[in-house]
Amino acid sequence: MSLDYVKFANGFEKFMPKEYRDMVEHGPFGKKVSVSQMGSFKEILEEHPMCAGCAMTLFIRLAMIAVPNPEDTIMVGTAGCGRLAISQAAIPFVYGNYGDQNGVASGLSRGLRLRFGDKPKDVVVMAGDGGTADIGFQQVLHSWFRKERFTTIMLDNEVYGNTGGQESGMTTRGAVLKMAPLGKKFEKMDMLQMAKVAGCAYVATVVPNNPRRVESVIKKAVLIAREVGSTYIQAYTSCNIEYAIPTDKVMEDAKTVENDRYQFSEYVSDEAKQYLAERYGYKEFLPKPAAPAGAIPNKA
Amino acid sequence: MYLVADINVEICAAKSCKLCTQYCPEANTILYSEEMGKDKGFKYGSAYVAVDRCKGCAQCVWVCDNMAKNNAIKMIMIDQLPKAALTDNITYGEKSTTAVLVSPTV
Ligand SMILES: Cc1ncc(C[n+]2csc(CCOP(=O)(O)OP(=O)(O)O)c2C)c(N)n1
Ligand code: SF4
Ligand code: SF4
Ligand code: SF4
Repeated sequence: MSLDYVKFANGFEKFMPKEYRDMVEHGPFGKKVSVSQMGSFKEILEEHPMCAGCAMTLFIRLAMIAVPNPEDTIMVGTAGCGRLAISQAAIPFVYGNYGDQNGVASGLSRGLRLRFGDKPKDVVVMAGDGGTADIGFQQVLHSWFRKERFTTIMLDNEVYGNTGGQESGMTTRGAVLKMAPLGKKFEKMDMLQMAKVAGCAYVATVVPNNPRRVESVIKKAVLIAREVGSTYIQAYTSCNIEYAIPTDKVMEDAKTVENDRYQFSEYVSDEAKQYLAERYGYKEFLPKPAAPAGAIPNKA
Repeated sequence: MYLVADINVEICAAKSCKLCTQYCPEANTILYSEEMGKDKGFKYGSAYVAVDRCKGCAQCVWVCDNMAKNNAIKMIMIDQLPKAALTDNITYGEKSTTAVLVSPTV
């Protein structure tokens, strides 16, 4: 886990496939790349078997670009569509049993701190809404209450996509799915509120039709998790198969859903604001200058 | 036979907004070349598609038509492409600002 792993083993360079050579020579490791450079450098993500046009794929692609130090990052995932892509990337990927991702990440992030001390090693969990809010719910909530220092990202396609369309806790009320033919009877779970109650230092919602925002949200979440505490991002990443969205309308759907019920929201704890401002120069979180002495207040 | 995205260099290079490079769900599939387009006298470079990686979703067509408002991308049957860019023919620039296409397959 360092720039050392992004190089050719002695004598093997000429046998490596082009994609691997491009990754070593023109990948993002040790450089700062941003979404505005997409298409001009070799990305961490490789080809993978996720469906054509899947918004979750786009989100994962953006996430791999957004992580601040890819060479010092480990991703943790679980059963579900996302792992099909997250595993096909030049970032180490840990895959546990379905739902145990936040337990695995807790141990991993503690172990990395023991081994590497203050040197930042980032742990990022990316799992589906079923993996996060249903099967993994208990481990997710407990990791937040324990203030484990890693980032949890929910890939919220509002369905069990990988297994053919069962409802999840994150499916909206009334939604009819192949394996919920009568429509879901309960409300979508409010995981954002739960994350705040459980003490997460950063909680944000995002939709992939705004790549720069995805980038900025993920950077903040990963940086805050280095020292302050748990961070949570909930991303709307539609399943065009189970919701029958024509692939060329996936971004139109993202826009509609964003306006309807997935508006951008961001909660940053005071401690996290101070940390981002002081450690990483985030100007928007610098304390506002106090009113000059003698200024006349608006109201008495 | 199947459809892949094809970017018209003349139309793209007039705008060259790079939006499609950020919205294609697949990595390293829509590339951007500073040289392409400039060599035809345009001010900017152009985006182009590595067709061996394109999954044919047409999301880029929607993005170029509706967000960039430039209509530079069309879906074309793979055997009807005038020229095809393939991953093997692409080299990246030193400063991560360009991905050059060398000898597209005809
Ligand atoms: C313990 C266990 N139970 C069930 C499964 C089968 N399974 C694989 S993926 C999945 C659902 C995934 O849904 P979600 O987490 O929402 O991710 P998505 O596929 O929608 O991205 C299930 C039930 C499993 N792999 N392990
Ligand atoms: S089943 Fe749905 S979520 Fe899974 S890869 Fe296909 S479109 Fe994406
Ligand atoms: S969105 Fe259209 S105009 Fe913009 S870079 Fe892509 S092809 Fe060119
Ligand atoms: S059709 Fe889909 S996969 Fe192909 S270049 Fe366009 S957005 Fe990318």
